[in-house]
Amino acid sequence: MIQLFNWFRRGSLERHLDRELQYHFDRRVADLTTAGISEPEARRRVAVELGLAQVREEVRDVWLTRWLRDFLYDLRYSARSLLRSPGFTATTLLSLALGIGATTAVYSLVDQVILHALPVHDPQRLVLVDWNGDDFITYATGTFNLMPYPICRDLQQQARFLDGVLCRAEIQVILTVGADPRPVAAEIVSGSYFAVLGVGPALGRVIGPADDAAPGAGPVVVLSYDFWQEQFSGAADIVGRKVLIGNHPMTVAGVAAAGFRGVDIGAVPAFWMPTSMYAEANLDEDDLFNSPTRWLQILARLRPGLSVAQAQTGLQQWFKAWLQDSTLRPNFPRISADHRREYLATTLEVTSAPQGHSVLRHNLAQSLWLLFAATGVLLGLACLNVAGLFLARASARGREIGTRLALGASRGRIGRQLLADSLLLAVAGGVLGAAVAPLAIRGLIAFLPNDLGSNALSGALSFRLLTFAFLASVAAGLLSGLAPALHAGGDGLVSSLRERVGTGFGGVRLRKMIVTLQVAFSLILLIGAALFVRTLSGLLARGPGFDTSGLLSFAVAPLQNGYSRVDASRLVRRLDEQLRALPVASSSAAARFAFLTGGAWSNAVTMQTDRRTVTDGIINFNAVSPGFFSTLGIRILAGRDFNRSDSRPVGEIGPRCAIVNEAFVKRYLAGRDPLGVLIARGGSSDVKPDSIIVGVAADMSYRGLRDNSEQVFFPLFEHDDTGATFYIKVRGAPEQAIPSIRRLVRQDDPRLPILWFRTLDDQVSRSLTTERLLAALSGALGALALLLSLIGLYGVMSFVVARRTREIGIRLALGATGASAIRLVLRDAVVMIAAGTAIALPCVAALGELVQSQLFGVTATDPATVVTAALVLAAGALVAAFIPAWRASNVSPTDALRLE
Amino acid sequence: MPSSRFPIPQGTLDMLILQILSLEPAHGYGIAQRLEQISRSVVRVNEGSLYPALHRLQQKGWLRAEWKQSETGRDAKFYSLTPVGRKQLAVEKDSWARLCGAVNLIFEEGSR
Repeated sequence: MIQLFNWFRRGSLERHLDRELQYHFDRRVADLTTAGISEPEARRRVAVELGLAQVREEVRDVWLTRWLRDFLYDLRYSARSLLRSPGFTATTLLSLALGIGATTAVYSLVDQVILHALPVHDPQRLVLVDWNGDDFITYATGTFNLMPYPICRDLQQQARFLDGVLCRAEIQVILTVGADPRPVAAEIVSGSYFAVLGVGPALGRVIGPADDAAPGAGPVVVLSYDFWQEQFSGAADIVGRKVLIGNHPMTVAGVAAAGFRGVDIGAVPAFWMPTSMYAEANLDEDDLFNSPTRWLQILARLRPGLSVAQAQTGLQQWFKAWLQDSTLRPNFPRISADHRREYLATTLEVTSAPQGHSVLRHNLAQSLWLLFAATGVLLGLACLNVAGLFLARASARGREIGTRLALGASRGRIGRQLLADSLLLAVAGGVLGAAVAPLAIRGLIAFLPNDLGSNALSGALSFRLLTFAFLASVAAGLLSGLAPALHAGGDGLVSSLRERVGTGFGGVRLRKMIVTLQVAFSLILLIGAALFVRTLSGLLARGPGFDTSGLLSFAVAPLQNGYSRVDASRLVRRLDEQLRALPVASSSAAARFAFLTGGAWSNAVTMQTDRRTVTDGIINFNAVSPGFFSTLGIRILAGRDFNRSDSRPVGEIGPRCAIVNEAFVKRYLAGRDPLGVLIARGGSSDVKPDSIIVGVAADMSYRGLRDNSEQVFFPLFEHDDTGATFYIKVRGAPEQAIPSIRRLVRQDDPRLPILWFRTLDDQVSRSLTTERLLAALSGALGALALLLSLIGLYGVMSFVVARRTREIGIRLALGATGASAIRLVLRDAVVMIAAGTAIALPCVAALGELVQSQLFGVTATDPATVVTAALVLAAGALVAAFIPAWRASNVSPTDALRLE
Repeated sequence: MPSSRFPIPQGTLDMLILQILSLEPAHGYGIAQRLEQISRSVVRVNEGSLYPALHRLQQKGWLRAEWKQSETGRDAKFYSLTPVGRKQLAVEKDSWARLCGAVNLIFEEGSR
């Protein structure tokens, strides 16, 4: 440290040393002359005695270790020589900054979403316990790794393998503080949750086992630190305050430790409540403590010294007994013997989960890794470009380097100097890149699908990120400097001194290989970009199966406000009728579940034709009001729409009806008249098909635009509604209808919040966020990559032409035409482009498997896409090569020969 | 210059410099002269190695330096011992004494 400080004050150190030695010198000379020696002789003798140059050098070594001093001198020399060629420096700096900035930004997301371990005690020992169980019995509800509560409770006894077991689920509830009801995300957790994670309170206490002992035992909530700060301004007297969850009063027991945001990066809870309060959270009326319904995720802590595999094997025996036992419980459904055998053969799956559980991560991981790989390739391209430029520069400096070698510099020393050049550039580029990375990260986060996800992610530069950027920069510096450094002085001393100015070997073969690689890389990125753009445009062109223009939607969840199902049904019916009467609405309808949000209500379907059959797949359901299909502009292909008299309260005797879509008919009722067929939800043997198919509707997307599923619709208002999403066809601009709709809902119940207002256009575009992210970013990366490789190609071709000026001049003088000179140069370029393409195509075929699941309507090796991308690249490359070629054809023979 | 004297043993130069400066502050030439006097008949100090040693000791924080008027009226760089340097001198003297004792013991053993 002191040594580095010495570097900056070396001027004053040198001056002082000079004065000090001068004093010694003068005194010694004076002493010797007094002793009778002549002054010139005395001076000579003292100079020999002291060895001034040697002393100075040894003192400098004390100030600053030799290698460090040399390195700093190298850096200074590099900085000066780089500043002397600002064009070169700016080009390399920008391409490195771009590569490092992009890689850092994407790495930030990879780190935050995929890699970052939870901020809890020893996260490496956390595991996720999942069950490859059977959906027909346990009806999982749409997300991942769901488990029934009884498994979690019984698993806690397995202390041989696990140090603690927790379960949790994310919920949406209406939280009322004062007189302000609003929907918030929360986490409902077992009493062991905080203890297993090792998270304590910042204030008050956290949820403990006593809160979770029996249904209704713990009417408490624990606020998240952020929520406490934002909504309660960090009020110190928060513990003991009352809040309303739905319409149930609960007490704030405490605030969790700062920085802890739950176990799901994509669902940041405002607060935690114990699972004993599931009824208050309006999860279901059933006895969830004993129900086989899968609604929670289970995380556990491994016993020290046990591996994940040991725990998984060890738990199977217990689980077998547990399954056997569970079939004897009173609420276990009746199933066939085959089915029962399958059920008993299911197993537990234990996986390491230091990052917790997250649907967001599950959905994004592949896209993020793809993007990370693509930015890595881009950084590689930038490095190759810089390496090419350095090679060109080194060849221009061939004589300088040759001279230094001749004067006794070692090749290692010169190579080190060249490495200092590239390291300096790369680190400067890294600083620039890190400076723009936060902007890029925020831009990326804006692309991400989940609104909640964006809350949990930050665009700030963390220490990890800076470390990554630094390592990436050093790697880039080494990568781009290594070839030129190894190459330095490789041509042999004599030849480099003998060469004429402006020539030099310059590693042309190496540079051609580099350009070939660049062509290959950028073709891969271009093809990827084209595939993702085609996927997005294909999905946009396909649309959801109906005209979204002028359609507005909003949702209410009356159950969360304490409505009974019957009351909720009445409310939805009332609102539906009033909305139809609104002057701004040309038509309006309601559906129980929202479309295009990723979720669905689904189960198997039992059909009664001439025999009883059960669908082999899961069918998506919805319940809709009369006029739903005409409001969305979906054609009824056969039969009729629902009418008012179709709705029939649950349990009431009488004919029920259903509408199926075209895909359902094609798959399950092909070749027969679907109208009149009896169907029912569910696949178990006790299901009675009692709904008559009265109509067939055209297909529409349900979960998302890629969705092409079989669907069955039932009438709404059967007195078992949980809430509804309303779809309103608006006259004029949809946004202008919002105030009158808001007023209408408020008149009915001022305490009922509207969950969201969205135009269907907006909903479609939201459902495409991942596709848009991939298309936009891969497009940008592909364009940058193309640009970088064209610059590289242009550079190497210009260099080749400059080197062959004399040869071309002679050819022209001997009667060759300009066109033949162009051909001569372009032939080189064509070989490189062809070789690059030949490398890229097998890679595309190999990588295709990885991206196929992200694509829609196009295969990864789609010939049209591949050919188009290759043509774009080839055309660009030929233009880049043509400029130097044209210059070659204009070489004047006399000028060229005068170079001699 | 008589060349029959011993070259100074490795590592003892630092100790001698500290010892000289423990008596009074001195400039480089003064230290060289004192060394010359002390060791007139025994050891030879290369004056070239004096200055790197002084700068090394200063960097270690054992010496401090300031520019002061010298006996000739010209400004010279005077070195003096810091408290850390004084402690270091004690340590070095002690280990030197023990080394000498040990070597002597070995010699006596051998001559018996």
